[in-house]
Amino acid sequence: MNEEKEVEEQSKPLVLEKLETHHSDALLAQDEARGTIVVVVRKDQAYAVLEYLKTDPELAYTYLVDVTAVDNSQMESELMQFDYARFMVVYQLYSYQGQGRVRVKVPVHENDLSITSVTGLWQGANWLERETYDMFGINFDGHPDLRRILMPDDFEGHPLRKDYPLRGRGERERFNFDKQNV
Amino acid sequence: MQGGLERATGEKMVLNFGPQHPATHGTLRIVLELDGESVLKATPHAGYLHTGFEKLGEHLDYNQYIVVTDRMNYLSPLSNNFGYVLAVEQLLGLEVTKRCQYIRILMAELSRLADHLLWLGTAALDLGAFSVFLYSFREREKLYSIFEKTTGARLTTSYTRVGGVLRDLYAGCEEDVRQFVGNFPKALKETHTLLTRNRIWMDRTKGVGAISADDAINYGLTGPCLRATGVAHDIRKAEPYSSYDEVTFDVPVGTNGDAYDRYLVRMEEMIQSCGIVTQVLDNMPDGPVNLEDNKVTMPEKSDAYGHIEGLIHHFKIVMDGHGVQPPKGEHYCATESPNGELGFYIVSDGSGTAYRIRIRPPSFFHFQALPNMLEGGMVSDTVAVLGSLNVIAGELDR
Amino acid sequence: MGLDFVGQGAGQTDGNIITTTIDKVVNWGRKNSLWPMPFGTACCAIEMMATLASKFDLSRFGSEAIRFSPRQSDLLIVSGRISIKMMPVLKRIYDQMPDPKWVISMGACASCGGVFDTYTLIQGVDQFIPVDVYIPGCPPRPEDLIDAVLQVQQKITSGASPKGVEVIYE
Repeated sequence: MNEEKEVEEQSKPLVLEKLETHHSDALLAQDEARGTIVVVVRKDQAYAVLEYLKTDPELAYTYLVDVTAVDNSQMESELMQFDYARFMVVYQLYSYQGQGRVRVKVPVHENDLSITSVTGLWQGANWLERETYDMFGINFDGHPDLRRILMPDDFEGHPLRKDYPLRGRGERERFNFDKQNV
Repeated sequence: MQGGLERATGEKMVLNFGPQHPATHGTLRIVLELDGESVLKATPHAGYLHTGFEKLGEHLDYNQYIVVTDRMNYLSPLSNNFGYVLAVEQLLGLEVTKRCQYIRILMAELSRLADHLLWLGTAALDLGAFSVFLYSFREREKLYSIFEKTTGARLTTSYTRVGGVLRDLYAGCEEDVRQFVGNFPKALKETHTLLTRNRIWMDRTKGVGAISADDAINYGLTGPCLRATGVAHDIRKAEPYSSYDEVTFDVPVGTNGDAYDRYLVRMEEMIQSCGIVTQVLDNMPDGPVNLEDNKVTMPEKSDAYGHIEGLIHHFKIVMDGHGVQPPKGEHYCATESPNGELGFYIVSDGSGTAYRIRIRPPSFFHFQALPNMLEGGMVSDTVAVLGSLNVIAGELDR
Repeated sequence: MGLDFVGQGAGQTDGNIITTTIDKVVNWGRKNSLWPMPFGTACCAIEMMATLASKFDLSRFGSEAIRFSPRQSDLLIVSGRISIKMMPVLKRIYDQMPDPKWVISMGACASCGGVFDTYTLIQGVDQFIPVDVYIPGCPPRPEDLIDAVLQVQQKITSGASPKGVEVIYE
């Protein structure tokens, strides 16, 4: 029995092992699904964890693949699991040093829609965070230029939230040509 | 500036480039701050082609969404179809038949050729080389006729299905493809003679829009733009999917990461793709194309029309809430599209429509990194750099 | 091409003199030298490029002089999806074109929104600018675009005024 456990421990991916040693209090959950390691991280320590993942020489997750969010308001099971946090900000990382992919998820509550920006770590995060702000209304603290990116500047609402209708709220018919500065 | 031109010291001038400009290939917009001829600051703007693909994914079922992926990167729709169904299949835990995997590779590589050809034509057109545009469209039309015979459409192919493809290759496809691939290197050589050692082409692209390997990784560049900086990373090699580990090919890399290297890398990739296509045709396995899984794949048309079981089966697949239903969970699947890493992040709540579909487009990152390549250069280089990146608006804005 | 302005009301004398009306001569000139302004945004733009390129070669019909400057062109080809962010740009480009001007709405997305019935997409540009010829298809084949250009030419020959004229002078 003990031996089996040891074998299991050994096959544990390096990322999880290292995160458990260095940031054990930040981890809310961990999982390995379909070949990707998934960790759920406390919001106040998300930046520290991401910075650690990027700068640790053995892990070297130097490539930020994606930043996005999921509106979990219609997914009861996810809501219950993480203290009814409506949004889940998702970071996808890739290591060119053979550590593969890791997905870092951070629950964000609707009454405190802000999270530390990672633009200081990855330049590529700039537009990704702008898009997440545009589509979900999540604020990224410390972002150099947090504006709408896909929708017009005077647009109201956040289209990818679950309560936003697919066909919009009439913005495609109402139209003020004078207001737009092209 | 570098050529010893005197730097103008007048007032700063703001130049609005796009969204409707011949070199923006659609709907890109860059606001340039100029001092004379040199670019002080470049601010790219996105979103002029925002279509709501991700929102649409939450309302269409898994097979319906294939149609939408066509229209995302309209230079290589087959690669998008491929990347998307691969993500759904991995979410379902399915592996398609060997023949299907090979057919998909074949189509993905042909669409890589189609993409690079159009990039070549327009990038050269932007710099004044009109004949290259005509040459590459000549080859492209040959590819289109192969696509049309296989999928029924020139551009919006919608060829793949969850668990298979629309239909097997048509009779005579192998000869058509072999003939095309046989002639293609010769046709490409014509372009090489027109451009590669061309004084004007070299002057306008060498050392223009260079980006270092570290910056490229930091900005999240992928595909040919990353490889031009010297990073030999290709998802087909690093994380082989769908039998890509059974074909041999080289990953061409550049050294300087400038527009000229991006050109050379893409040119070589086309030759490598031809090699892959030939290998795939040589080793094409026999057997069924679609999975024999009644919960996922459609019945044969003759069954659906001729037998009650087939009809029920068809009905079950297309009815709301009866079709493809991946288990609850999430998955991110990356494929090497012609432009770079094309990823689909799908969150499933166990129903017939995805709870959330996120598309990770390569062009988004390339366009974002544009200021890094433009600032400090000349205003006329903007067109050369933008052309060399191959930013596709449909994929950028989704 | 031919001298197709020699029609009703026109006559030919014994020598090398042709009589006709000034409108017919002007329309004949317009018809055979349509300068398109391609407003290409998405997939249809690729097919539009194919129409201009080697195999289909729109220049056979006198429309190869693509002008990206609206002030020099008289045929606007809207090809592709138009988002709410893009619509003001399209409107401005249409306004900048000199009269008389014709508009082709190429493909399903420009004509009616196509498969994208979403919050950001204009469901048909004809809500905001007058359209003369619609092309169905997603995307239409190059032959369809050529056909549309020929229809515009027919319209010009027949002497009908473009759709946009009433709107402008009202």
